[in-house]
Amino acid sequence: MAADAPQTRTHAIKMDSLGRSGGNKSLSNEDIALTVDDLSLYYGDKQALYNIEMKIPHKRVTAFIGPSGCGKSTLLRCFNRMNDLVDGCKIEGKIHLDGNNIYEKGVDAAALRRNVGMVFQKPNPFPKSIYENVAYGLRIQGINKKRVLDEAVERSLRGAALWDEVKDRLQDNALGMSGGQQQRLVIARTIAVEPEVLLLDEPASALDPISTLKIEELIYELKSKYTIVIVTHNMQQAARVSDYTAFMYMGKLVEFGDTDTLFTNPTKKQTEDYITGRYG
Amino acid sequence: MSESVFSGSNSGFARWRKFKDKAAAVGITAGGSSVLGAILLIFFYLLYEIMPLFQSAELQQQQQHEQIGSSAATLHLAVEEQAEVGFRLAADGSYVFFRLESGEQLLNGELPLPAGTTISSFSIDSETNRIFTVGLDDGRLLIAKHHYKISYPNDKRLITPVMEYPYGTGPIRLSRHALQRIAVRDTDEALVAVAYTATNKLEGRRWVKEEDFLSEEITLVEEELNLPDLDIKPERLLLGPDQRWLYALAQKGQYRLINVGDEEIVDAGVLFDNASLADARFLLGGVSLLISTSKGVTSQWFNVNTEGVTHLHKIRSFSNDNAAIMTVSPEHRRKGFVTVNQAGQLDLYHSTAQRHLASEELGQVVTRMAISPRANALLMEAEDGKLLVWSVENEHPEISWSVLWEKVWYESYPEPDYTWQSSASNNDFEPKYSFAPLAFGTLKAAFYAMIIAAPLAICGAIYTAYFMAPAMRRKVKPLIELMEALPTVILGFLAGLWLAPFVEKHLPAVFSIFLFLPVSVLAFAWCWNFLPMKWRKHIPDGWHPLLLAPVIVGTVALCVWLSAPVELWLFEGDMRSWLTADLGISFDQRNSLVVGIAMGFAVIPTIFSIAEDAIFSVPKHLSYGSLALGATPWQTLVGVVMPTASPGIFSALMIGMGRAVGETMIVLMATGNTPVMDMNIFEGMRTLAANIAVEIGETEVDSSHYRVLFLAAFVLFLFTFVVNTAAEIIRQRLRNRYGNL
Repeated sequence: MAADAPQTRTHAIKMDSLGRSGGNKSLSNEDIALTVDDLSLYYGDKQALYNIEMKIPHKRVTAFIGPSGCGKSTLLRCFNRMNDLVDGCKIEGKIHLDGNNIYEKGVDAAALRRNVGMVFQKPNPFPKSIYENVAYGLRIQGINKKRVLDEAVERSLRGAALWDEVKDRLQDNALGMSGGQQQRLVIARTIAVEPEVLLLDEPASALDPISTLKIEELIYELKSKYTIVIVTHNMQQAARVSDYTAFMYMGKLVEFGDTDTLFTNPTKKQTEDYITGRYG
Repeated sequence: MSESVFSGSNSGFARWRKFKDKAAAVGITAGGSSVLGAILLIFFYLLYEIMPLFQSAELQQQQQHEQIGSSAATLHLAVEEQAEVGFRLAADGSYVFFRLESGEQLLNGELPLPAGTTISSFSIDSETNRIFTVGLDDGRLLIAKHHYKISYPNDKRLITPVMEYPYGTGPIRLSRHALQRIAVRDTDEALVAVAYTATNKLEGRRWVKEEDFLSEEITLVEEELNLPDLDIKPERLLLGPDQRWLYALAQKGQYRLINVGDEEIVDAGVLFDNASLADARFLLGGVSLLISTSKGVTSQWFNVNTEGVTHLHKIRSFSNDNAAIMTVSPEHRRKGFVTVNQAGQLDLYHSTAQRHLASEELGQVVTRMAISPRANALLMEAEDGKLLVWSVENEHPEISWSVLWEKVWYESYPEPDYTWQSSASNNDFEPKYSFAPLAFGTLKAAFYAMIIAAPLAICGAIYTAYFMAPAMRRKVKPLIELMEALPTVILGFLAGLWLAPFVEKHLPAVFSIFLFLPVSVLAFAWCWNFLPMKWRKHIPDGWHPLLLAPVIVGTVALCVWLSAPVELWLFEGDMRSWLTADLGISFDQRNSLVVGIAMGFAVIPTIFSIAEDAIFSVPKHLSYGSLALGATPWQTLVGVVMPTASPGIFSALMIGMGRAVGETMIVLMATGNTPVMDMNIFEGMRTLAANIAVEIGETEVDSSHYRVLFLAAFVLFLFTFVVNTAAEIIRQRLRNRYGNL
């Protein structure tokens, strides 16, 4: 799987042509990884998401954009049930992952999260060594064989384009790394457990432009293996990295379509107002 | 040049702001420095109070007089309480009282010896009662007492020496033969005199004092003592103050220990080899013998009773030089003594502390010596009859490292031991200042408190911070922290007066609670899993502890209710006596278990509060990161949250430990304050802190005891300082490892 990932990256990628195979994409041609079916979410009495319907394609990058507080991160967290941890959160509706409703009674959230990895806005490596950070996901699955772990750590770090930078200091504390390295370490940690879906919650917003560029390159490479959903504030970033884009506003999904079309020829006025910078 | 933009305006507001900044900076610096200063001051004050304990003694020559009084050999020298008047008794029966400072003779006199008799032996009863006896060559003896009357004419102290004869001026008959060696002891009940006579026999008599209950007149009833024959020729005869033990010491070191009551020799042996006896005196109290030899060694001996057999035992010895000891003189109020040797060297020692306090070259050979009762002056007679007066500065000879921390063989103890016993009702008592039992008690109390507090507080903190519903946490946390505000004196009071008797009465309940409480909680949690979902969903996540409350209360109530039947069934109705009789575990009502529970209760809020904060402040994004990888909450807790919170949890434990070590009132009230060294949970202890609280009010200011209590405070201070420093270093390391979040 990840063993054939590029080992080093020496060339810069032209951002405007990143990963998109032209404008003639259509959702109807794609395999669907996640289906959101009439999803509403309440924080206490306050409704945060309104009847979301959405299909997220397999092994593609889907971006959620929208102004602050529009519910895009909330929706993202529904995919791995992280909202369960929020006090007073109530969810109605269904989300299917490969045909199974993840909100079905008896679904083990921990097992779900193993399959739906998530990277947060702020890099959050554990206060452990680089090696142990990557191995953590495997250790909690009960995998403790050194050979297996070594292999997985190297594969994941290569997959996150971090191997060459850290291979000589795997036992160093991860907190000594730069912010960009930490975020790639978190991605390496997430892909070490080989999830199907990667959820990225504004993964580059706390990083400098060069680190951001590296993350974006990484996203491009990862989509050959994972279905990626990314929440971003940065419309250029959405345009650069995603195949499909969803625009959300006030807890509602306004428009969802392939990125080129949504950015160049939005069908809704709200979308146009947002991408042309009238609010947000 | 025009004014720079950054030079700031001089408007009123800007100046006011600048002033506030400055004032705040100064105020905060001053506050911080004074805290440090205060701690340093405490430190230096403690040092200032304990320094005198470790100073050595100082001696200084004051006066030197030509021979005063008769030219006959000196039998006895003495100094009066204020060290103003000296006393010299000569072998011809003449005595003289004189001023130490000027040498002026105050009173000259002669003992009323019958015509034709001479003094053949001499003995003093004890330094403190000033009674001495001369034995005569016709077998009679005369008992006298040098006494000092104090009056204040014209508001000036006037000391008038007199010679008194408590048994009359007429000699008392002891034998028909010359008394070569004599030993006399006088008590309220009887007068006992023993002599070694010219016929090489021991002869003794006891005069029992019988008081007429109407006239309160005392009549002496004479009894003959039937003493055994001696196979040695005693150089010294010494009779203990209990009028029971008679020590006969020969020139070559052989000794015989005679029980005067049973009239038999109970022990015989040799004090030293290849030397001769130079001097032998009782140490204060008359329990220990100080034996000085011609080889310069002075050793302390006392009777040790092992398996019913009493024998004289060598306890410790002191030597500074090989020159023969000329004379040894014990202090009147402490277990110290002074020796002078043939080379003219004076040495000051303390027996219990095994301290050599001072050594001084006198420049002449001294044959007789007396210490003033307050041990602040020395009167010595040189070979040529000159009298030397020296002043002594020796405030605190009792304390040494070995007294504080090592086993010491105290008088009348069967073996060396760690003992704290700072005072007793009698004046000749040997103070026992061993810190070992106190330090042990301190650690024991802290240990049992931590055993109970640490698991409860940490587990409680983990649950509250990590699993409990926020709404419930908001109520639980302040409630537990409120426990900390409870005055410890109330906790100690409850522990001593309510908990201790309760535990004693319900011992089986206490044990079954420790056993069944965790079991019942776990069993309840296990059963909970099998309840139908329909019921379980009524309890939201994080509110489950409420369900546990009745389980805990029920278990405790059941254990207490079943206590008596179980005791009847298993322990024949009395677990306490079962412990003592069948297991050999002694049981005090106020014991370490009670202290552990009460002090644990006091320490729990401290540990809980800090540990809870540490766990709760582990960033949410860390635990989310772990959960998002598919870890269960428990795995997240163990793998990420606990390591990250470990510096805080460690701090919590150390601060709790510090609290337990320094805690005073609870231990004071909930234990018997017995300074024993025993890990037994059913026995009490005395801690350093409680010891200070108990004794500081009863000690004389600036006495050795007082300073020793300050030393205890200093040890406590150092102890907390070392523990806190170690804790801080470890915490910093942990923080470096898990920090930068």
